[in-house]
Amino acid sequence: MAVRARMTDTLSIRVRDLHVDYEIFEERRAALRERLVKHQGTGRRVVRALRGLSFDVIEGQSVGIIGSNGSGKSTLLAAVAGLLPPTSGEILVSDEPKLLGVGATLLPAATGWRNIRIGCMALGMTADEVDAAIDDIAAFTDLGEALDRPLRTYSSGMRARLHFAVATSVRPRILLIDEALVVGDQAFHKKASERIEELLGTAGTLLLVSHALGTIGETCERVIWIEQGRLRGDGEAADVIDTYKRSVG
Amino acid sequence: MDNGDAPDIEANLTAVNAPVSARAYLTEMWHRRDFAVAVPLEELRSAHKTTLLGNLWHLGNPLLTIAVFYFVFGVLLQSNRGIDHYLLWLTIGVFTFRLTSSSVLGGATSISANKGLIRAIKFPRALLPISVVISHVLTFGIELSLLAVFTMASGVGLSRRLLALPVILIVHTALNTGGAFVAARLNEAFRDVQQIIPFLFRLLQYLSGVMFPIQRLLGNGIPGWAKQAISLNPVLRIIDLYRWAFLGTEVDVGATMKTAAISLALLWFGFRYFRAAEWRYGRA
Repeated sequence: MAVRARMTDTLSIRVRDLHVDYEIFEERRAALRERLVKHQGTGRRVVRALRGLSFDVIEGQSVGIIGSNGSGKSTLLAAVAGLLPPTSGEILVSDEPKLLGVGATLLPAATGWRNIRIGCMALGMTADEVDAAIDDIAAFTDLGEALDRPLRTYSSGMRARLHFAVATSVRPRILLIDEALVVGDQAFHKKASERIEELLGTAGTLLLVSHALGTIGETCERVIWIEQGRLRGDGEAADVIDTYKRSVG
Repeated sequence: MDNGDAPDIEANLTAVNAPVSARAYLTEMWHRRDFAVAVPLEELRSAHKTTLLGNLWHLGNPLLTIAVFYFVFGVLLQSNRGIDHYLLWLTIGVFTFRLTSSSVLGGATSISANKGLIRAIKFPRALLPISVVISHVLTFGIELSLLAVFTMASGVGLSRRLLALPVILIVHTALNTGGAFVAARLNEAFRDVQQIIPFLFRLLQYLSGVMFPIQRLLGNGIPGWAKQAISLNPVLRIIDLYRWAFLGTEVDVGATMKTAAISLALLWFGFRYFRAAEWRYGRA
């Protein structure tokens, strides 16, 4: 199995010496008055979420990303999705990655139907394309009448179903999943796995962040282990998961 | 990794955060135009449950505002002296001024109101303030047709000058979109901006001749710089243009040209200003 890219493989993602810092404001963001009077807001500090990460992913590969809470896994996915700009380093991709995050709420006040429509259009579908696809997407969510309710009334599992259906409706070549599978029930899990298989079968690429090592072991051939924003391990799924388990104790 | 084959293997890759040219950005926006229209359309639909009465409520606020202004400025202060069809004149002022103020205020909150979408999906963020502007233009369309009815009812009749309305609306929308872009970025950086904007617009309302003719102010012994500032006010000139179209009142051609230039310049500046900080919208 190819962990590093060979000449014969087609690269899908290349991450090179990636650093991501971001500023956080403790409690709340600075108001204008505070900025003017104190120059800098209250409790502002820089978090160095990723500190020099490098790896390649080839087409058709499924990669699990593991590490303890706060190790930088979600930051990595957001950066690859283009939602967080790198402080330094480079991220190259063969196609626009689509991110599926567990916390994604899209439009909380809008109904499930409206979230599907708007979400698909934000992903780049035209109104006609959405009209043509919406029944399939709705069927995939299995949410039934719940689609008439506002998204804020959904459980995290229901939100994940909707978001998964929307994000995979455009058949992305690169799919990034952040914990979104964990919250779903068995039925959804099965459906999602099938769609992921389908995606990987057509030379799609998957990065999957999860704390469920079982899911990672089933879905991914390769695992990247990051700790404090640095690469701790990279290799065959079973090997890396073993090492990780031993280190956690 | 930095071996000789690196260039070949990277041939099919593009950088995720590569700087996007204005042209490519606009192409991307055009590609997602349905999104910009769908958001306000569905909002209108869901906000008022598609009932006729619900849609009429959109007009409740401006009509009550007009009633208040008519009583204070028309009946009590008698600012309407020398103005034919004062009620119609006032209505045009209120409707058009509201299009600017609500577009800019809506633009200011367009980023914070769509955090969920921003965090989940990468798309040109400029579509958010634009969709707010589109939403208010749609409402304004209803108000314009109402104005046409009022104009006929008051015996003025519909003039051929109304054919210029699309051009006036384009200049007006350029100004509003530019303002919405600037307000969106400012409000993202300083969360108090959305609190301050209504007060700025209250001041601007007095300086735009919405309730009384601004020429009265300009005639008095006010400082020259204030006169200069007022006469450059693009909202004042745009309201004048609508009044010209409906009522045939005078317009200052030179000032109108300047207004068109200011509006387009604000649109251009606002777009650039908004885009320069785009990467950090929706974070933290």
